[in-house]
Formats: sequence, structure tokens, C-alpha cells
Amino acid sequence: MSSLNIGGSQLDASWFLLLSAVLFVLGAVGVLVRRNPLVILISIELMLNAANLALVAFSRQLVNIEGQLFALMSMTVAAAEAVVGLAILVDIFRVRDVEDIDDLSELRG
Amino acid sequence: MAIAVFFIAAALAVLGGIGVVAFHQPIRSVLSLVVVMLSLSVIFLLLNAQFVFAVQIIVYAGAVMVLFLFVIALLGPARELGRGRLRFQGWLSALFVLVLLGLMWGLLQGVQYRQPDKGDLSFFGTVQSIAVGLFTTYLYPFELTSILLLVAAIGAIYLSRKRIDDSEGGPAGEGLRPAAGVGGNLPPHSK
Repeated sequence: MSSLNIGGSQLDASWFLLLSAVLFVLGAVGVLVRRNPLVILISIELMLNAANLALVAFSRQLVNIEGQLFALMSMTVAAAEAVVGLAILVDIFRVRDVEDIDDLSELRG
Repeated sequence: MAIAVFFIAAALAVLGGIGVVAFHQPIRSVLSLVVVMLSLSVIFLLLNAQFVFAVQIIVYAGAVMVLFLFVIALLGPARELGRGRLRFQGWLSALFVLVLLGLMWGLLQGVQYRQPDKGDLSFFGTVQSIAVGLFTTYLYPFELTSILLLVAAIGAIYLSRKRIDDSEGGPAGEGLRPAAGVGGNLPPHSK
């Protein structure tokens, strides 16, 4: 256990990591149980945000800037992923309506 | 003071995360995700990450979420059907999630931190310190990031262009059809 001195108060670093884990698990639940492809993309964004929180928390704990730099890289990758994923989604919706992600099962053969 | 700010922001983030999963309309999921991102930006500020805080608000809560909102506005309000066709999906996902949370909890109990580096916390996380890292040690990853964004932009333009000769789909120039409305059960086009 290690406490961080933030504005005169002592916060434990593991609180941030626990919050990050909870948010990541919520995102995983969203990917697993939701069937709208758009909501699945949103849940992936939630998981990426949780990972960013863990990176920034470790960066603050170790007083090392590299964690924040990696969080910025991860934000860039997340933006690129959202753009390409939404473009694919719009392209699919242009041909037909997909109410359920299980409708996209042509590869099952 | 900081403890109260942390717990309010954390509670808002968890509530927003639950909202992302629980709301049945995609627009509400997106707005819940905006709540999560804004509370996370407050927590970034607590963690001496001023630049990441600004980028989180401008890029994530600003640009990416507006992109999601535009796509929802484009595709129409699609609601989910009542139940899926995969058996045991709920139970299996609950099991998976409990195992995942247990593993993370177990990892958090035994985490060993090394000694923190010697650093000036008043300088840590400012734009200057970010820039020193980004333009000296990590210059090549930073430049590669720009190529990644270029590739993503080209890919998005290619995927969302208007089809000239569309042999499989509808007639050319048909454009976007609105998605099925609430409860509309249009069968998918068979080829």
C-alpha cells in the first residue's frame, strides 16, 4: 500500500486502480451482454478509458511521465479505432439494418 | 478535500459506466459515457495530469463523443430486441466478469510499487514536461501516431464513400436508408 499526497490529503494509489478495474469490468459486461453494435463500440471506449486511468495512476505513483505519454498514445489509438469502427458500422447499415450483432454471421459458413 | 472530490468523481464514473451498460437506447449510453469521461478527467486532475485532463475533455468528450452522436443521428434510434439468440449468454458473461474482477482484485492485493523517481511534482504533468518526453525520447512513436491517424482518416473516407457501381446492394446513389424504427422488424436483405 502506498498513499499519495494530493492537495494535503492522503489517497491510496490502489483506490484509483480499483476504480479502473471496476470501469474496465463494466465495459467488458457491455461488450458481452449488449447486442447493438454501436453500444459495443461505446463499451470498448469505456474499457480504453479505464486503462488510461490505470496508466495515469501508475505514472503519478512513480512520478514518471512515461505513463502519461502512453495514455496520450492510447487516446490517439482509441480515436482512430472509433473512427474506423464507426465507418464500418455506417457502411454495414447502408446495405441493411442490423438490430442485433448476431445478424452479422456470414463468416460462420 | 481531495478525498471528497475523488469519491464524488469515482461514484459518478461508476454510475455512468452502469448507465452505458444498462440503458436500452444508444443515445443514453453515449451520454453516460460522456459523464464517465468528465469524471475521469477530474480524477486525472487529481493525479497531476493537467495535459491529459485537457486532452481528455477536448478530444474524448468533445470530438469522439460528437462522432458517436452523429452516427446515432445518422442511423436513427435503433432499440435492442428483448432477448438474444445465444443461450446462456447472460450467465456466461456474469461468470466471466466475476472471474475477471476476482483476478484484478487479487492482483491489486499483492502489487509492489518500486520507489518513486525523484521528480518535481509542481512540474510533473504540465505541458512542458509532456513535451520534453514527447519530443525527445518518444519522438518516433509520436510521429508514427500521425501516420496512424492519417491511415484511419483515409480508411474512414474509403469506407463511407458513395458507391458508384454497387452490384450487390441497392441501386447506385440510393444513399443512406433510415434504420428501422422502433419495433420495426425488417428482415435483412437476402442476396
